[in-house]
Amino acid sequence: MAFAYPEPTNIWESIEYSSLGTSIAESLWAFPTLETIHVIALVTVFGTIAIMDLRLLGLAGNKWTVLEMSKDTLKWTWAGFVLAAITGTLLFTSKASTYMVNPYFLIKMGLLALAGLNMAYFHFVTYKTVNEWDASPVMPSGAKFAAVTSLVLWIGVVFCGRAIGFTLGIYY
Amino acid sequence: MGDFFYGLTDWLRTTVLLDWAFWIETTGFNRLLVENFWGVPIAQVLHIIGIGAAFAATLMMTLRVNNLAGTARSIPEVSARYIPWIWWGLLWIIVSGLLMLWAEPVRNMVNGVFWVKMALLVVTVLVTLAYQKSVSAAATVGGAGWNVGGGMRLTGWFIIILWCLIMAHGRWIAYAPV
Repeated sequence: MAFAYPEPTNIWESIEYSSLGTSIAESLWAFPTLETIHVIALVTVFGTIAIMDLRLLGLAGNKWTVLEMSKDTLKWTWAGFVLAAITGTLLFTSKASTYMVNPYFLIKMGLLALAGLNMAYFHFVTYKTVNEWDASPVMPSGAKFAAVTSLVLWIGVVFCGRAIGFTLGIYY
Repeated sequence: MGDFFYGLTDWLRTTVLLDWAFWIETTGFNRLLVENFWGVPIAQVLHIIGIGAAFAATLMMTLRVNNLAGTARSIPEVSARYIPWIWWGLLWIIVSGLLMLWAEPVRNMVNGVFWVKMALLVVTVLVTLAYQKSVSAAATVGGAGWNVGGGMRLTGWFIIILWCLIMAHGRWIAYAPV
């Protein structure tokens, strides 16, 4: 007999009690499998971003131009991000209302938004003059700031991601 | 598959590993990690950061060998950038992994998934060492116009698959019955 879920009282419960949410929650293998793909995608995102950030900080790969480095890494960063976003959304559906009251989940979403803003500012403002400092081992302060901010935010995202797993039962 | 891991864990429970795990639980460093709520999560974050560094470096090497990234630079140039990050990253992974092992010795040492992960890690290290040596030797002999053969390209992807399997086992340690 199928388990009867209570009537949802808000949008998060509606997501959690949807057939997709309950299928993932009830499956023995779906959640860990999605988590596994999420981790592989996440380390790809973090690792390729760190390669670019280290170049911007002049700490690694200084013989290569910033444009070359960006061309090498950016599409893999995006590929990893899309995969992480899809698997993350599926994980979210299985425990939506629990995640929405977890502060680390909410902080993680905030840090992701800040990382996006940092990237957008770098791309649309700082990067406009890239041809002037493209091959230089010493980067302008705007580029260094973007790199440090990016590393701090992404490490924060990883930390909150792990903290969620350790605090799920606390905030009901 | 489940039966295999269940049987392996059952057997591990009869070995000296169980005594070692219990001994680790009596150490002061274990107490320190366990009694601090953030001990294990921080060790895991450090572990993930190391995996990010080493896996991304491995990926960029594989992409270069397959002419999918970094084609403007020679393979020795790309190797000089990424190979140290693979090995220093791996060292970081092992140290942070030891922190996790010390914090939760029974969960890890008396767990079939953990030991399959360790076996995969050893295979990955050996394959990577042999691979880096053969690519480097072939690149030196081949000179600037050298193009990587099909076997070497496939081996690069094989190493990526091995890393993914290691990460998968790492995640499934948490779901294996101990």
